Amino acid sequence: MIQLEVTDLHKRFGGLHVLRGVTFTVQGPELIGLIGPNGAGKTTLTNILDGAIKPSSGTVHLNGQRIDHLPPYRVTQTGVGRTFQVTRAFRRMTVLENLYVPALAMNPGARAKQYHAKAMEVLEFLTIDHLRNEYGRALSGGQQKLLELGRLLMLDPDIFILDEPFAGVHPKLMEIIYRFIQHVNDQGKAIILISHQMESIFTLCRRLLVLNYGDLIADGDPQTVKRDPAVIEAYLGEDEDQSGVGLVTEKGT
Amino acid sequence: MTPTMLRFAGLLGMVFLLVFPLLYTGSNYSFIMHLWITAFFYAILASSWALLAGYAGQFSFCHMAFMAIGGYTTGLFNNYLYFSNTPTTTCTEFAIGDRWLVVLDPIGVAASPRTCLDAAHSAWAEAGIAGEVLIGQPSLWFGIGLGVIMGGVFGLLIGALVLRLRTVYLALFTVGFSEILRAVISAEIAVTRGQAGLELSPLFPDGITLFGTYFAATHKLPPYYLMLGLFLLCLAIMGLLVRSRFGLFIRALREDEDAAQALAVNTVRYKILVFVITSMMAAAAGAVQAHYVGIITPNILIILQMSLVIAMAVIGGLESIVAAAIGAIVIQFALELLRTSFDIGPWTIDMSVWRLVFFGLLLMLTLRFFRNGLIFSLILKVERDAVAKETVSKRQAAAEPKEID
Repeated sequence: MIQLEVTDLHKRFGGLHVLRGVTFTVQGPELIGLIGPNGAGKTTLTNILDGAIKPSSGTVHLNGQRIDHLPPYRVTQTGVGRTFQVTRAFRRMTVLENLYVPALAMNPGARAKQYHAKAMEVLEFLTIDHLRNEYGRALSGGQQKLLELGRLLMLDPDIFILDEPFAGVHPKLMEIIYRFIQHVNDQGKAIILISHQMESIFTLCRRLLVLNYGDLIADGDPQTVKRDPAVIEAYLGEDEDQSGVGLVTEKGT
Repeated sequence: MTPTMLRFAGLLGMVFLLVFPLLYTGSNYSFIMHLWITAFFYAILASSWALLAGYAGQFSFCHMAFMAIGGYTTGLFNNYLYFSNTPTTTCTEFAIGDRWLVVLDPIGVAASPRTCLDAAHSAWAEAGIAGEVLIGQPSLWFGIGLGVIMGGVFGLLIGALVLRLRTVYLALFTVGFSEILRAVISAEIAVTRGQAGLELSPLFPDGITLFGTYFAATHKLPPYYLMLGLFLLCLAIMGLLVRSRFGLFIRALREDEDAAQALAVNTVRYKILVFVITSMMAAAAGAVQAHYVGIITPNILIILQMSLVIAMAVIGGLESIVAAAIGAIVIQFALELLRTSFDIGPWTIDMSVWRLVFFGLLLMLTLRFFRNGLIFSLILKVERDAVAKETVSKRQAAAEPKEID
């Protein structure tokens, strides 16, 4: 049973207090939407969960093991996989080589050849198998997004964190990404989906986390969260003036 | 031209290099052989630098420093260390079992320094035991081996120190290290003889018998095969490495370090490893070359020398160790053979100076028009053509109804 426990996370960048005591638990194959205005701390939270940055205080446990102080590659090996908001395909490596990287990194002693069949299966699932020997840079933006998802499938983590997978994606591709999310969720994996596309979030997710300038202001099923006055004010509502909120500097306080 | 033909051409080239010294009979034999040995030396440096910079993306400017570490380590070993069965009492010495490890005093730059060993010899002669004294130098191969190890140690150190440095900062740091090393070697005149240079014994001091023929210490054939062997060994090791997970991971590291970490790659380990491996190769080349040339000076560390290696790798092709090696060999020959001056009308073109201008122009044009290098661009064209055809045919096959053949 997958269990991610995030306890009282704080992150400060100089004077900015980006995360202010975030606590939540992921239990089993949940499909969670993480929403909030720009600058709410979504990406910072993601970066802490996958080990790229260390929290100022607080802890993250995955399946009982503390992971917040581990180097990023160890966190990944423990079972957290993520995509990036801006795609980060290895541009001067072929599509297949892109997929071999996580497969070999997870399996010491293995050889790329052993993963050829699995990689082809993944590429067919994502409909980019004809590009297998092309360089990453030859792929379109959307195809690079699919390639990133393919790398995650090869990595096969317990928790998939998808940072804005629908940004700048046309409907056909959106369908493939939907299928991807359903597929890994059916396999018993937990997913944390960050997106500004409310339609997708409400279609896919069975639980929502709402971050607002470092505070977790709501955590619950989508219908309840939708009606939460605090969420409407901070994010879902129309043209609320939010300027300055949350940009509380530590200096002088 | 197909990838198979490329491989066949590579094999032919290798056979050519192996038999060349046996078949070539020109009167300039020694000169041509010297060019080849130097070319192999630069080929090792350029190809290992290509692994470091082209594959792993670590634009280090201290590759020649590792080379010098190899050269100076074996040079100092060769000049300072002796084994004796009798204590000298005049030199610094350490008992190892019933033997003595003798370390000579700094030799300095005096024309014929009187060493503590000379003093010991006269003392032994006076005492009448000169006949019983057995004193000798350890084989220079130990010195070369030690040089390679020292290269690895410094590679580890630099690799660990530059972990967080990228691009320009890495370049500046490594230039700094290289310059510090040059300054130290130049300053420690008493030990390294500074600009006067440290002399080393030839690779085969007593000559060597190969293929049933005796070759004197100054003959170029044995060092040719030694340097060629080292070159092919380095190529083979790097070839295996780039085809393994190591090659995959260092390229991922070059492309995007954060993304590689997010895909479970221990980037720290591979970054340090690539530094250690390439610096050991540079040190090995430096150690052998130092013995071959017979003298080593701090001038091999000047930035111009490093630039030459970089230019060779860039013109050949940074992302292919073979292309970088071919680039080094071609440019080494071109630079030497283009020394002949010629006249255009009333003007005499002094090629000993102008060849560097042409070389610089070639570098600029390569960077502007062939970013993959001149030689690698050709190789890549052959290999990628096949890929492009495959992609197109797959796409057509998917689009068109299947035909019956």
